[in-house]
Amino acid sequence: MQPIILENVIKNYLLDKIQVPALKGIDLKIDAGEFTVIAGPSGSGKTTILNLIGCVDTASAGKVVVGGKETGTLSEKQLTDLRLHTIGFIFQSFNLIPVLNVIDNVEFPLLLQNTLSPKERRERVLKFVDRVGLTQYAHHRPSELSGGQRQRVAIARALVTRPQIVLADEPTANLDSVTGQNIIDLMKEINQTEKTTFLFSTHDHSIMNQARRVIRLHDGKIQANA
Amino acid sequence: MNVYFIIAYRNILQRRMRSLVLAVAIVVVSLVFSLLLALVQGVKNTMIGNGTALMTGHLNIAGFFKLSQSSANPMVTKYEPLLEYAKTQIPEADIIVDRIKAYGKVISETDSVIIPMWGVNMDQESNVLGRLEIDKDANGKVLGDLFQLKDRGTMALFAVHAKKLKVSIGDMVTVSIPTQRNINNTKDLKIVAILKDVGMMSQFNAYMHSADAREIYQSKADSTGQVMIYLKDISTLKTVEARLRNDLSSKGYRLMDKDSAPFWMKFDRVAGESWTGQKIDITTWEDETSFLKWIISLLSALTFILTIVLSIIIAMGLINALWMSVKERTTEIGTLRAIGMQKSKVLWMFMLESLILSVSSTAVGLILAAIICQTLNAIALPIQNEAFKLFLMTNTLHFAFGLPQALITFMSLVTFFTLGSLIPARQAAKLSPIIAINQS
Ligand SMILES: Nc1ncnc2c1ncn2[C@@H]1O[C@H](COP(=O)(O)OP(=O)(O)OP(=O)(O)O)[C@@H](O)[C@H]1O
Ligand SMILES: [Mg+2]
Repeated sequence: MQPIILENVIKNYLLDKIQVPALKGIDLKIDAGEFTVIAGPSGSGKTTILNLIGCVDTASAGKVVVGGKETGTLSEKQLTDLRLHTIGFIFQSFNLIPVLNVIDNVEFPLLLQNTLSPKERRERVLKFVDRVGLTQYAHHRPSELSGGQRQRVAIARALVTRPQIVLADEPTANLDSVTGQNIIDLMKEINQTEKTTFLFSTHDHSIMNQARRVIRLHDGKIQANA
Repeated sequence: MNVYFIIAYRNILQRRMRSLVLAVAIVVVSLVFSLLLALVQGVKNTMIGNGTALMTGHLNIAGFFKLSQSSANPMVTKYEPLLEYAKTQIPEADIIVDRIKAYGKVISETDSVIIPMWGVNMDQESNVLGRLEIDKDANGKVLGDLFQLKDRGTMALFAVHAKKLKVSIGDMVTVSIPTQRNINNTKDLKIVAILKDVGMMSQFNAYMHSADAREIYQSKADSTGQVMIYLKDISTLKTVEARLRNDLSSKGYRLMDKDSAPFWMKFDRVAGESWTGQKIDITTWEDETSFLKWIISLLSALTFILTIVLSIIIAMGLINALWMSVKERTTEIGTLRAIGMQKSKVLWMFMLESLILSVSSTAVGLILAAIICQTLNAIALPIQNEAFKLFLMTNTLHFAFGLPQALITFMSLVTFFTLGSLIPARQAAKLSPIIAINQS
């Protein structure tokens, strides 16, 4: 599995014709199987980095390599495909499809991939629903679940395609600390058993302390890379 | 089941009120459109039904005979070989009759009318003219018997003319007709039947014995007005017409150019042409009733204008509803894009919503239309308004709702609404996946 590589990455946003620098030259390498936190004060560029690695945005300058591909050279369509096959997303607000139940939500990326047979698909989905402890709630809609349960669904959805990388922007921000800790534990466990790379941002110091590696951002630059 | 279909379907259910209003609106427009189409087709059917009894075959061998350059007589001289040809060489034919044409004045003691008239041979007409309904008087008494036209010296008028002339059965009228030598020949005829009006067409027809018509014109027994051919299957009309033209012209007959007008509108033109002798004019029922075509065109135009206006209003509602749906679901769409859904799939997901709504609602509208047409046809709703009777050429409302009407309605509405939904669907497809991550 290929590492994530950022070389001298610069990202500027254009706000009312004024260039707002968000990342001012980032060099970073994240190896396969890491469990890494991006930390830093508000506005330091955490989300921006995750957007670039997540292939939902491209850098203004520099090189971003994800899944062995330089994202700046890819078309919109290819970026979408790269996201589908190599990246799993976990969102701060869970972002489940409200009209689909747990099973259908988890199954969705597999339907987009359209590589497994219906039987394999079903087995895979049930396995991951079980993995996040929601077998009992398999047929519930998101509105019938608690925040923690929703984030578990989101984790199952992010993992069901067996992506190389799982990205999460403040996955625990909308959860109480106990539930948040459970979610982090679950992610850690999966990181160890499945060897999936986890990269997530957080404000929470107690969570930072559990990460094997913390990348500290300040004002668009890496301050500490431990 | 396809997950896009499930998402679209459930989102429709989710926004129940909005979807219901839209669905009802689409049902209404589909109902209105198909009912109007069925009405137009009904009028068309009545028109061909009445027209082919009153004044034309599906196909006619007609023409003009010119004794001098300035004359024009609507007749076919030496018609027997033509009749023979029609009887032996047109296997598609069901009924073949011939009628004498006349054009002149019918005079009563109080008034007169100028109308095209037909000299008929009632022996041939039982399935043609015989189909017409006889009028009844205020007491419900049937006004005469059309088959008395078998006797010489008789005439049948439509109610509209009988009323104007203030005559009834048993009364005498005088028919005055200008002939070839520009003198008026007259003959007194007894009214034996008053025909029930069939809208505007009644104004252009009256009937007498063919021998009386020949006598007035002083024409020979080997001449007639036109040979009228009724086909077993009207869809063969075009091919039979083309063959007829070919055959007659290769037999040496002089043919008139195709001119979609009834014979009585061709007098002036023919009289202005320099040829003399006989020319054959092959016409169809559409040509002979073309002076009523504007009614069909007007009805069709009204149908389309009304439908288009309604459809645009509803399409705007649909677009707006989808637009709101896109707004409400920006995060969801961004999420789908982030986890790897292509733009085209997002587009498809939203189009599917409008497709489900428009297909199902249009179908419901069509089913309702079919039921309503059946019911209304069964009760044979009488048209009260005289102007409408005249205009729609019938006394009872008749809807012809068939596969063509259903298909036209279905295809045009579904296509229209689907195209409309492209606007908000494209808006949805353009949404960036970043919004899924950046919102908090
Ligand atoms: N779409 C945008 N348009 C303009 N400026 C932006 C945009 N997104 C981010 N920025 C700016 O880029 C910088 C980095 O923002 P980013 O969202 O990456 O910070 P963050 O570390 O995620 O902050 P937070 O902890 O508040 O989520 C900030 O100054 C921000 O104002
Ligand atoms: Mg952020």
